[in-house]
Formats: sequence, structure tokens, C-alpha cells
Amino acid sequence: MNTVTTFYLSRVIGHKAFDTNRKCIGVVKDLLVDPESSTHSSGHPVVNGIKIKFKKKVVFYSFQNFHIEKVNGETKVICDQLIELNSDQINGNLYLVQSVLDNQIVDINGRKLVRVNDVRLVTIVNDTFAVAVDIGMEGLLRRIGIAAPVKLAFSIFRSTIPSKFILWEDVETIDSSNSNIKLSKSYAKLQTLHPSDLADIIEDLGRKASAEVFSALDDEKAADVMEELETDTQVHILESLSIEKAADVLDKMPADEVADILDALEDERAELLLNEMEKDTSQEVRELLVYPDHTVGSIMSSEVMSFNLNLTVEDVLAELRNIKPEFETLYNLFVTDENEKLLATFSIRDIVISQPDVRISQIMKPSPVHLRDYQKINEVAEIVSKYNLLAIPVVDKNNVLKGMVVIDDVIEDLIRKRRTNK
Amino acid sequence: MFKNKKSFFTRLGLFIAILGPGIITGSVDNDAGGITTYSVAAAVYGYNLIWTLVPSFMVLVVIQEMNARMGIVTGKGLADLIRENAGAKITFFIFVGLLIADIGNTTTEFAGVAGSMEIFGVSKYISVPIVGFLVWFLVVKGTYKIAERIFLLFSVSLLMYVISAFMGKPHWGEIGRSIVHPTLDINTKSISMIIGLVGTTIAPWMQFYMQSSVIEKGLKMKQYKYTLMDIVVGCVVTVVVAFFIMVACASTLHVNGDIINEAKDAALALKPLAGEFASQVFAFGLFVASVFSATILPLACAFYVSEAFGFEAGIDKKWDEAKEFYTLYTGILVIGAAIILIPNAPLIAISLWSQVLNGLLLPVVLICMILLINNKKIMGKYVNKPANNIIGWGAVIILVTLSLLLLLLKIFQ
Repeated sequence: MNTVTTFYLSRVIGHKAFDTNRKCIGVVKDLLVDPESSTHSSGHPVVNGIKIKFKKKVVFYSFQNFHIEKVNGETKVICDQLIELNSDQINGNLYLVQSVLDNQIVDINGRKLVRVNDVRLVTIVNDTFAVAVDIGMEGLLRRIGIAAPVKLAFSIFRSTIPSKFILWEDVETIDSSNSNIKLSKSYAKLQTLHPSDLADIIEDLGRKASAEVFSALDDEKAADVMEELETDTQVHILESLSIEKAADVLDKMPADEVADILDALEDERAELLLNEMEKDTSQEVRELLVYPDHTVGSIMSSEVMSFNLNLTVEDVLAELRNIKPEFETLYNLFVTDENEKLLATFSIRDIVISQPDVRISQIMKPSPVHLRDYQKINEVAEIVSKYNLLAIPVVDKNNVLKGMVVIDDVIEDLIRKRRTNK
Repeated sequence: MFKNKKSFFTRLGLFIAILGPGIITGSVDNDAGGITTYSVAAAVYGYNLIWTLVPSFMVLVVIQEMNARMGIVTGKGLADLIRENAGAKITFFIFVGLLIADIGNTTTEFAGVAGSMEIFGVSKYISVPIVGFLVWFLVVKGTYKIAERIFLLFSVSLLMYVISAFMGKPHWGEIGRSIVHPTLDINTKSISMIIGLVGTTIAPWMQFYMQSSVIEKGLKMKQYKYTLMDIVVGCVVTVVVAFFIMVACASTLHVNGDIINEAKDAALALKPLAGEFASQVFAFGLFVASVFSATILPLACAFYVSEAFGFEAGIDKKWDEAKEFYTLYTGILVIGAAIILIPNAPLIAISLWSQVLNGLLLPVVLICMILLINNKKIMGKYVNKPANNIIGWGAVIILVTLSLLLLLLKIFQ
């Protein structure tokens, strides 16, 4: 007997399976792997079950007693003993044909979606594992059934068909086919991707899959990804998440971004979300929502830190350590009077290079360049470029500090304009 | 932000914002191949084939509505869905067929460019390379979106066929009679003409293009009403333009017994009958339609073939990132243009064969679509209603019957 060690999924699917007496037991329809087994030990998911169709009846068997043989170049599926699986043993498994083959999966290293042409499996001792996915031309030709002649033609020209494999540990499968069974897949590998890359991938996924992948992310990551998504996708995902989960994600995001998203949502849904969000965050968002689309107020960040001019550098440092602001907020600090009116700005650099007992009034830059909240956005870029600023404070008509516009928001706005002009 | 009741103008604004996929698809539909088929059919059969536009319109609306619904619900392209549900083998044969048909169609578009410019006295050896390069440059340099809008504006010139038609002084009573009671002999010629007419009005590649544009627009189920309006407007434009082309050609060329083979012949033949202006209007419309389709068709084709086989695709990607996509796109464009430049190339045969291939592929694509859209796992509660299925399957059955009839007649003659 010649037990093969490696074989392709396409070589067994649709082929007959036999028992030890060479009697046909049916046609192989699918292989079931345990997706969670990939997170420990070898990193490769073990094949648990096999779906076999015999005379219009579909049965799931344990793969333990199956093995793959190669006879005269043909792959054969042989079974020693048929052990049927019950529904508990079937649930939670990943179907290689239904959910992986021909579907899109995430290439973690390439940070993009790829389409699976074939799956490579290996049998070691008694266990069979899925080791790699084939996304290359060779896999595609093998599926169509013309790999051999094309290979021959290529060999005449002393070249080979480009083949491309990705190891199983470097892919994440997206299982959106199981609508009834709650699989609660962890998508642990996706959490390692940069939010921007993850956002690109989620945008490319279908509707169902994008919502499922997003809801599997933890709140912190989900908030970062949400910021990077296009408006269409943001709306779609917020509409498919539960109100509670959606509010949790929005709570973790800067108020100006939340205001932008809620603006695109239906009014009723937006109101529901605002009520579910934490009080102080939703209050900030509501203030921002008042500003019309093309005004500075609509793109400004309301998370700013302002200090009294009589404080010392040490006081400011203590306060910063206490609040632990995000870096954008940390880099641009403001001075206001008791009525919250803007007086001056100072930077984190001024704080770092000054002695602890120096007063803010000695290092601050008075009468700073500033914007009005109802000013038009298209004037901002010019001011940013003219004064070489990274952030500009925004005040209302009474000179009260309302927030700041960061260069990032200005660029985002410019890009959006250029895109819609096309 | 909290708006109250939607006023008429907000509604109108919403409609205009959503406007696009249906109308663009409808305009691209009347391409050089379409104009040729309509002119030839009318020149040979007069008003007697105009009735085909009525069932074509109904099927067109139903199919595009299905595409839009699938795009909105799944967020996936038609090629994606076919690949994921039909497997690699079937996908391969469908898309190789589509690729060949599209190369043929692109050739027809360049034939339209060459023919229309020759009427204005420009040699095809000048017009085709220039237009080909401009189209390629436009897309690869990423200014495609601007181009699309300019073309959409230009496609209003298609309505010039209406003028053309009136200048031919058609007999309206007779047109009405022919739509209700067409007189037609059943033979291979007339059946292949009917298949050609349906095949060019409901070209398979359009279904893929339509679904992708709906996704790109990010349309949602809430906007379904406006999407449907967009589709109906697009289909009306398609059919109205086709109607007037047929009327223009039938009331002049058919009456005089002129036999034409290409759209260019139609423009030339209109000159003594309807005047220099009508001929130039016809030629200009042909030129715009050809360039528009020569831009969109290879792009759409490269896109959905890449989608089906899992190649990276999109004009926002760099050449290195999406090598297969750009190679496909450039290849289709270059082959299409090059065939035109071969002296004495069998253009009519190419045009005819790509139409036949379209006609054969249409039922295959339609069957895939109907199976997909009735799949609860994919569409959830938005599966087809019985009426959609009846019209969809009806179209499949009629098309298959016509194709078989054509085959049988060919064998027994």
C-alpha cells in the first residue's frame, strides 16, 4: 500500500470513496476541518470529517478511518471503518469546499483578499492537515482539468506555470456561509493587521462577511478600523451591528469622526445611538452635529486641552500624566482664561525644554492664528500652509475655544473634494 | 442634520445622486454593434422587426433590476458570485466565452470609430490608433471618472437619431401596424436577425457592468425605489434610441431597397435620401457611441475576468499591483484596434460572430443569475418574486428555443 503524504483538495472532491473491499461508499463532497486547532500546536487545522453523498443521501463521517492512496497516479479515497458524526461534532467545523474553495480569504502578509483555487493537505501518521492554500495559476488550471497539457506546453519552452501557495498560518478564512449556526469565529490573525489595511479588506468583502468580520473585532480595534472605512461601509456596518455594540465602538472614537458618521445615518438610528452612547461623548457629538457640512466646526476635533496661564510647567505635566491624552491632543496645548476664551498656544516641545518652575505665561505664544467655527473649510488649507501649522485652534464668535483642526482632517477633506470632483 | 419631511426637491436630489448605473449602462448599450444591427435589420426588414424592442425592453428591465438587487444585497460582483457558487470549471468556460465575445465587440467599436471618421474624411489608419491610445491613456492615468461624465453628456447626442428619423419622413401608421402585425418569413436569416437584435440589446457583459456599478455607488436597499427609476430610464433611453435608428433606416434604406452591411453604410446611404446633415448626425452619433463603448467595454471585461479568477483589479491600483488586470485591459484594446487596421479584415464576420456568441452566452449568464438570485443563502428575504422568475425563465426558454431553431434550420437547409 502506498499512502500519499500530500494531496490537493481538488483531487478528492467529486471522486468516489471506497471501503477496504473496493466497494463504493459514495462521492466525496466536502472536508471538514477544525478551525480552532490552527491556533495551537502545529498551526495547521486537522481534518475532522468528510461529507459523502451516496444515492442522494448526505452523510458526515469521521475522517479518522479514511486515508488517501495514489494508485497509478490516481488519487483514491479509502475507508477502513465508517463512523458517522453527530450534529455536535459537525457544528463549529469549517467546510473546505463550501467556505474556502473558490472563496476569498485574507492573505495576512500580503494584507489583501485572495481567491482560493485549491487547498493542499498533508497526512502525517494518522492525522490529515490543511497546510496551504493555492492561489496561483497552476491551481486554477488543475481545477479546470488542463494543468497537465499546459504544463507540457510550458516545459517545451523550458518554463513552468507560475504557482503560488500561502501557508495556512498566514491566512484567515472568512466564513459567511453559516447563517444559522453562530460560529463566533475569533479572526485572531486579523487583529494583528494595521487598522487601515483591515479597513481596506473589510470594504472589499461582501455585505454579510464585512459585518461579521467587523463585529468579531474588539471595541478598541473596531473603533480604529471604523475611522478608516469609507462612508458607505460605515453606514452598512453600523446598521448591521446591535445598537449596544455600535454605541460601544463609537464611544471609543473621536467625537468629530462620530459626528461625520452619524450625519450619514438615518436620523432615527443616529438618535438611538446617541442615547445609547456615554453621556459626555454623546454631548460632544451633539454639539458638533449642529455645524453645517462645509464649516470648520464639522471637521474640528473637540478634544483639546487648555490651561490657565498662571500654571507652571510642572503643573501641566502632572495634568497631562493624569489625563493621558491622545497624541494629537498632547502636541497642541492651549491657554484660556476663566471664561474659556483663547489667549495663547504652547507646544509639548516648550514643556519638555523648560524648567519645571517656569510659568506658562513665560513660554506661551500669545494671539495665535485661529479659525472661527462657522468659517468655510476651503479657507483652512491655505492658512495651514501659510503659517506651517500642524493644528489650528477653533473659537466661536465670543472667542471661546471650541476645538482644533488638525492637518490630517484638512488633508482628508481635500482628498474627498478631489475625489468627488472627478 | 435632523431633517423633517422630504420635500420634492430632496427627492429629486436623491434621484440625481443615485442616477448613473442604469443610464450609463443603457447608453453604452447602443454601441457600434447595436447601431449596426439595428440599421441592418431595418434596412432588410423595414418596420417588421421593430416589435422585438418591446419584449427586449421588458426583459432588460427585469434583468437589470435583478443585477441591482443582487449588488445591493450581497455587495459582491456577479463574477464573484458565479465563481463562488458554480466552481472553477463552469466559471472558466463562461469567462473565456465572454472574453472572446468582448474582443469581438471591441473590434466592432473600433470599426464604428473607423467608419464614422471616414465619413468626415479621416482615414482609419489615423483615427483608430489615436482613439485607441486616448482611451487607454484615459483609463490607465485614472481620469476615467471624468471621462465617464463627458461621455454621458455626449451620449445625449444619441438623441440626434430622433432628428435623423424625422428627416426620413417615416409613415407612422405603417410603423404602428408593423409593431402589432409584423409580416415576417421564418427562416435562418430572420431568426438569426432576431437573436442578433435581442443579443445586442441585452448584451451579457452589461449584467456584470451593471452589478459592479451599483456596488461602486454604494447603493442601499432604502434607495431601491430610485435605483429602479434609474434602471427604467436607462432602458427607455436604450429602446427609444434603438427605435429611432430602426425608423430612420427603415423609412429610407428599406424603401429604396439599399442593402447595407455596416453602420457606416447606413450613414452614407442616408445622404442622398435624407440629406447631408442627417448623414453627419448619424455618423457623429456613431462615433460618440463607439468611443464610449470602446472605453467601458474592455475595462468592464478586464475587471470581471480578474474578479472571477482572483486577480487583483481596479484602476486605482498600480500596474505592478494588478498586472493581470492591466495586461487584459491593454490586450483587449490592442487586439480590437489592430484587427481593424488589417487591410481587408473580415469585419462583418467578426461582428456577426461576436453577436452570435453574445446570443449564446446570454441564456447561460441568465440561468446563473436566476439560480443565484433565488438562493436564500445569498439573497435572504430578497429572493426573486414569481413574476421576475416567469419573465426571466421565459426569456431563457425563448432564447434557447430560437438558438435551437436556428441550428435546426441550418442543418435541414
